[in-house]
Amino acid sequence: MDEGSKIASADSIVLTGLGHVLGAPCDPRLFLRVRKNRKFMGLQDDLAVVAAGHALKSAGLADTALGERTGLYLAVGYIPFEHTDLDSLMEGSLSNGNLSMELFSTTGYNAINPLLTFRCLSNMPAFHISVNFDVQGPYFVTYPGIGQFYQALEQARAVLTAGEVDIALVGAVAAQRNFLVEHHHARLQPPVSAEVLADVAGCLVLETESHARERDATVRGRLLRHDLAYQPFNPFEHQPEFHEQFDGGELPHGELGPASLAVGLSLNPSGVLRHEAQTRDGFRVASQWELV
Amino acid sequence: MKQRVAITGMGVVSPIGNTVADFRDNLLAGVSGIGPITCFDPADLPTRIAGEVKWDGPILRDRKVTFALEAARQCMEDAGALFAGGGLSLGIGLELFSLDDMAAFRVNEQLPKSAEERMTFLQTPSDLTAHLISHRWKLTTPPMTQVSACAAGADALGAAHRLIARGERRWMLAGGSDSMVNPMGVGGFCKLTALSCRNDEPQKASRPFDRQRDGFVLGEGAAMLLLENWDDAQERGAVIHGEMIGSGNSFDAHGISEPHPEGRGACQAMRRALADAGLEPEQVDTINAHGTSTPKNDPVETAAIKTVLGEHARRIPISATKSMTGHLISAAGALEAVATVLCLQAGQAHPTLNLNDPDPECDLDYVPHQARPMDAQVALSNAFGFGGQNSSFIIRKNPGP
Repeated sequence: MDEGSKIASADSIVLTGLGHVLGAPCDPRLFLRVRKNRKFMGLQDDLAVVAAGHALKSAGLADTALGERTGLYLAVGYIPFEHTDLDSLMEGSLSNGNLSMELFSTTGYNAINPLLTFRCLSNMPAFHISVNFDVQGPYFVTYPGIGQFYQALEQARAVLTAGEVDIALVGAVAAQRNFLVEHHHARLQPPVSAEVLADVAGCLVLETESHARERDATVRGRLLRHDLAYQPFNPFEHQPEFHEQFDGGELPHGELGPASLAVGLSLNPSGVLRHEAQTRDGFRVASQWELV
Repeated sequence: MKQRVAITGMGVVSPIGNTVADFRDNLLAGVSGIGPITCFDPADLPTRIAGEVKWDGPILRDRKVTFALEAARQCMEDAGALFAGGGLSLGIGLELFSLDDMAAFRVNEQLPKSAEERMTFLQTPSDLTAHLISHRWKLTTPPMTQVSACAAGADALGAAHRLIARGERRWMLAGGSDSMVNPMGVGGFCKLTALSCRNDEPQKASRPFDRQRDGFVLGEGAAMLLLENWDDAQERGAVIHGEMIGSGNSFDAHGISEPHPEGRGACQAMRRALADAGLEPEQVDTINAHGTSTPKNDPVETAAIKTVLGEHARRIPISATKSMTGHLISAAGALEAVATVLCLQAGQAHPTLNLNDPDPECDLDYVPHQARPMDAQVALSNAFGFGGQNSSFIIRKNPGP
């Protein structure tokens, strides 16, 4: 690949935890340390917290306050918005089929559940992970696809190598079976059917080998190499084609957005696994992992 | 070895000027960009004021896309001819959701025919901006899109800074763009009772650190900076506006809409930036505060600054750009980076407007009303996000040849 390529085989970064969740509903209550925040959580928050919780549990960190030496590197999918939320908003805002700001500002606006804002923001999954697992370290919150997940992975690798954190949670979440995300995929050329979109999240726990050894953690795998490249394109003219391949294991059918790699690793926790994708936003990514 | 990072380009679209020169003049003169909302009819919404960009030209349905492209254009022009090996790091706001389009869609359920209209109809994906910029300037390294809300612009700069400092990029176009001055944006924040309702006195509505503050004022706009390997900048004879010497971010891990009461995360972000810069707190000469004019942020930020800087905090000027521009959300950190560079260059701390009755809990020197001369070499800038994301960076004045 091009100059963006990276080889990460000789460093001492190891995978010590994996977790994923596939499909809704999913119940995060098992992992909530701050239960009063439950009312603020939308599906993408539930998914992100559950995947992170499973990953931390598999890393032996379920009951550990992670603190300042743990960073979060998270790729979040397109913003979810349910039809029912929009319906109540629109019902009170239309006059003869047209938007009336008079009505919106008096009736429609009042139909908005104030918690709705919290439940769809892209940075909220990061908030809920941070508060429930006490992550106080540095972060990188990006959007919206698998290319950006690789960027999160690269950021995590860099801070671990530099010794800026001891543990990096590298996660991805996509709540896609909702009106707004389905709308986005329907307008692509060619359109993407809602049927193939998944509600999904995955999370990896990465740390330096010496840190894993110090705390007697089980090493579950290694990132042997990863590559990341980009071809600029005009999104008003076309979208590049999407292609994804996962060798050495199986991925669930459908489009998993930014979470495909993390989910693939979590579902296939042994052997040499190779992931490749060409995305609709111009990214080409590839990685090779050895899982124990 | 850590590489030095020069700032060799800047571009601005803001409520107080759509060029760097106009922005600087108005910033130092203490001109408010807050007024009644004109880009849509706010009707009877509780808040009907904002810091709007005054824009006469063609504009895309999602205003922040146009703002970002213009700020990037200015920045690239300012930087001049660059070596190969650059990239983009962009803090960007929420996907625009159009209520007008939703109304139309409910009637006929048809998507527009043209690709441009289709891709912005009803909802505009936020990463579209990064692809348009990358395409326009043929940036072949993967663009970074950061969505950490009010910290996103600062985070975009921090990520770019670290890439160059590590020697992984020769230059980065970095900044932020946002506009939530639309029915869903203003309506959503009104529901959270986060906005000032001082509709009759728009220019007095954004009043960071003042006892009478009643919420923040939405602003909109974009700011981009060209961060470049110092040696490259010198080799090509670029004008170096300043040097980015440190950055750091952190989570509060506390509350969804309120900062940690002792500013734990804010302190951590500032300390990380200082450590990254290799500086002691006493070496900070001035601060560009996050200063939102909300009841919760301003005293906590004050406490955090005092915790990190100790008694030194009382000896330095601290300015709040949002008193003039409103809160540009995902672009705020980037616009305030430009403000920071301009103040260092001018040797002046810009004023904090409307600070008539200081909150007793906000007891530092916030440069009320008028700009003030300062002999500052090092400036710290803060950007703290809804959801407890905190980002700080440090800029040093270019000492010249």
